[in-house]
Amino acid sequence: MYVKGLAAFAAAVGVGLLSGAAIAQEVKQEKQSVLGNANVPPVTQEQLNAADKNAKDFLLTNGNYAQTRFYPGKQISRDNVKNLHVAWIFQTDVKESLETSPIVVDGVMYVTTSFSHVYALDAKTGQQLWHYAHKMGPITVYCCGPNNRGVQVLGDRVYLATLDSKLMALNAKTGEVVWTTNIADPELGYSETMAPTVVKDKVLIGTNGGEYGIRGFVRAYDAKTGKQLWNFNTIPENSVGVWATKDATGRDMHRNIQAEKDMLAKIGDPYAKLGGGVWQNPSVDLATNRIYFVVGNPSPDLDGSNRPGDNLYTNSLVSLDLDTGKYVCHFQYIAHDVWDLDAVSPTVLVDVKDKGGKTIPGVIHAGKTGHIYVHDRKDCSLIRFSEAMVPQENMWVLPTKEGARMLPGANGGVEWSPIATDPGQELAYAINLHQPMTYHVESTAYPNGKLWLGGAFKVIPSEKQSGNITAVNYNTGKIKWQVKTPEPMIGGILATAGGLVFTGEGNGKFAAYNSSSGKELWSFRAGAGVNAPPSSYMVGGKQYVVVGAGGNVQLDFKRGNNIIAFTLD
Amino acid sequence: MLGKQMMCGAALLLMAGQARAETIEDKVAVCAGCHGEAGKPIDKTIPTIWGQQAGYLYIQLRDFKRGDRKSEIMQPIATQFERDDMLAIAEYFSQKPWPDLGQPRAPKDVAAKALSASASVGCPACHLDRFQGDGTVPRLAGMGRDYLAKTIADFRTRARGNNPGMSDLMIATSPDDLAALVEYLAGL
Repeated sequence: MYVKGLAAFAAAVGVGLLSGAAIAQEVKQEKQSVLGNANVPPVTQEQLNAADKNAKDFLLTNGNYAQTRFYPGKQISRDNVKNLHVAWIFQTDVKESLETSPIVVDGVMYVTTSFSHVYALDAKTGQQLWHYAHKMGPITVYCCGPNNRGVQVLGDRVYLATLDSKLMALNAKTGEVVWTTNIADPELGYSETMAPTVVKDKVLIGTNGGEYGIRGFVRAYDAKTGKQLWNFNTIPENSVGVWATKDATGRDMHRNIQAEKDMLAKIGDPYAKLGGGVWQNPSVDLATNRIYFVVGNPSPDLDGSNRPGDNLYTNSLVSLDLDTGKYVCHFQYIAHDVWDLDAVSPTVLVDVKDKGGKTIPGVIHAGKTGHIYVHDRKDCSLIRFSEAMVPQENMWVLPTKEGARMLPGANGGVEWSPIATDPGQELAYAINLHQPMTYHVESTAYPNGKLWLGGAFKVIPSEKQSGNITAVNYNTGKIKWQVKTPEPMIGGILATAGGLVFTGEGNGKFAAYNSSSGKELWSFRAGAGVNAPPSSYMVGGKQYVVVGAGGNVQLDFKRGNNIIAFTLD
Repeated sequence: MLGKQMMCGAALLLMAGQARAETIEDKVAVCAGCHGEAGKPIDKTIPTIWGQQAGYLYIQLRDFKRGDRKSEIMQPIATQFERDDMLAIAEYFSQKPWPDLGQPRAPKDVAAKALSASASVGCPACHLDRFQGDGTVPRLAGMGRDYLAKTIADFRTRARGNNPGMSDLMIATSPDDLAALVEYLAGL
C-alpha cells in the first residue's frame, strides 16, 4: 500500500513565515516518558472474548475479535444524538497524523500518536495518567507516514508495535516498559504501524514494507515474554500460483503470461523480495481457532516485469490456524498486481447468506477496488462482491512510461480504513476515496531496502476528487445508501446499536448518520482532519464517543493533535 | 565556484586522516571543509548536513561506502568509517541547528505550482508536513537551491542511483513542476 497526497495549499504556504527550527519542534516534539498510576484492573481473555457484548469498554481495535466495529450500547440514539457535545479534549505532544483506535478499559483510555507514543487517559475527564514517548531508533523506513493505529491490552500489559519495528509490552498501570522484542530490520524496509492483536497469550503482528522489497509475514509472540512462537511468510517459496488472467470480479488483467513464464525460467521464483505487507489486525474466529487477514501489494508496486507469477499471497485474503500459524486457505483478489490496488482494510467476520441463500459463517473485506467482497469462512472462497462504491474506468489498463489513466486511483476505493457492520441490518459501512490517477511504470533492480515503486501513481490535478460513505447489503451486494463527501475519505467508521454510524472527514467534520438511511443527524468541526476510527464506551453511566483529530499525512489533510470525547448531558 | 570546490577538495586531502581519530569532534573535523564551519556549505551545490535527519545522514554515508551513491569526494571519506562511526556522525550533525541560508520565499504562484506537483506524487507521505523529513527521509525545507536542483536532475537521469523510487517519482514529474518545487523548498 502506497498513498498519494492532496494539497493543503494555504496551510503549507503559510509555513514560510516560521523559522525552520520552530517548525521542526512543532511537528515532532521530543518528549520524555511520564510514568503514572492508572487504576485499572487486568483484562482477562474472557473479557476479550465477550467484547462484542460489552458496552462499557472498547477492548479491541475494531471492537471485538470479529472486527465488526458494531458498538452494542444505545444510550446515544437517533433521537438524542443532536444533543451530543464535547466532554473533553486531550492534546497530545505530537502534531502529526492520528490513526489511533482508542481502547477503553474500565474508565482508562489508551491512545497512540504518530512516532509510536502511547497515552493512558482518564476516559471520563481526559486527564493524562501516563505517557510513553518511544525513543525511536535512527533508522525508520515507511511509505505512508509515521503512523500508529493503536494498542491492545491483555492482563496488566499494553502491547505496542513501533515504527522502528519493535514489539513492546508496557505496564498498563504505569507505562513502564516490561519487554521489547525486535521484529525485523528497519534498514531492510520493515516498519510497524498497525495495532497488535492479543489472543490466548499470543501477540499477533504483521509488517509494513511492501514498497521496499521486504518478504512479508504475520507472527505470533508470547504475550508474557516476547518470544516468537510462530511465523507465517505471506509470500510462500512457491509464489507463482495458477497464472490467473482475471481478477475476482472476472475482468481481464491483460497479463502477458508467456513473457512472465520466460522470465520465471530465467530468474526463478521472486519470493524473497516480493513484499506482501499486512497493514491491519487479523479477525479471530474463536469457534474454529482460525485467524483471517489480508495481504498487501507485491514489490515493486507498478513494475511486474521482474516478478513473474501470481505473486502469492499478495492482494489476498488468508486464513491461518491460530495456535500454529499453519496455512488454512486463501483467496487472491488481483494476481500479479501492477496498480497497488491491494487489500488493506481489516477483515470482518459475520454470518452471511451463501449463493443458495443459506446462512453460513462468512468473512468480508472492503477493497481498494471499491468492492466489498463476501467469502465463505470455511475455505475462503468468494460468494459475491458488491456493486462498485466508486467510479471504475479503464480497468485494468497496464501502466505505461507516460502514464495511463485508470479509476480507482491507487488509494482506492477503501484504503486501510476499517469498515463497520450492523448484522441486524445486514449492512457494511465503508468510507471511500475517489482520486483519478495516472499509473506510470519504470523498471529498476532491487535497491537494498530503499523505496521500490517501479514507477509512480500521479493524482491528476485537473480532475475533481471526492469521497463517500456507503452502506452495502452484504447479502445482496447492493448499495443501500451513499453519502457523498467533498474530499476523499480515510480513517474509519463505527456503527452503534443506537442506530447510528460515526465517521470523520479530512476537512475536520465529524458526523453521525442514521445507519438505515444515511441521513446526517449531528456534526462537529474538529479544526483538523478527523481521519481515525471512532470508539465508544460507558463511564459513570454515560456513553461517550471518542475520535482522534490529527489530520492525515497520506492525503495531506490538516494536522492536529486532539483526542476528542463527546457525550450527552 | 570552481575555486571553492578546489579548496574543499584540497582541505579534504589534508584532513582525511583525521577520519580515524578517536573523538567525534575529530572524526567530523573533515566535514567542515565543505559543509561549512557553522553549517553553511561553502558551495551552493553542497548539501546542508547540520540539523539533517540522522537516519538519512547514516544511510548516505553507508551508501557512499558501498558505492551505491557516487562521489569522488565522499566515497573515500565514508570508506574509512564503520557502521557505529557513521551512526555517531549522523547523530552528531542531526543535533546541530539547521542553518538559515537566507533564500527568498517562492512567490505565491510558484508555491501553488510546487504544492500541486507535490500533492500529485505524494511528497508529504515521506517528507512529512512542511518537508521536515524524518528518520531516513531528509529535510528539504530550506535546503540549498542549487543542491536541490542538481539532486533532482541527478535523480531524473539516475546519476543519483541510491534511491530508484525517488528517480521514478521525479521522472513522472515535469521539469517545470520540479523547478517550482526547487524554488519553493529552498524558500521554506
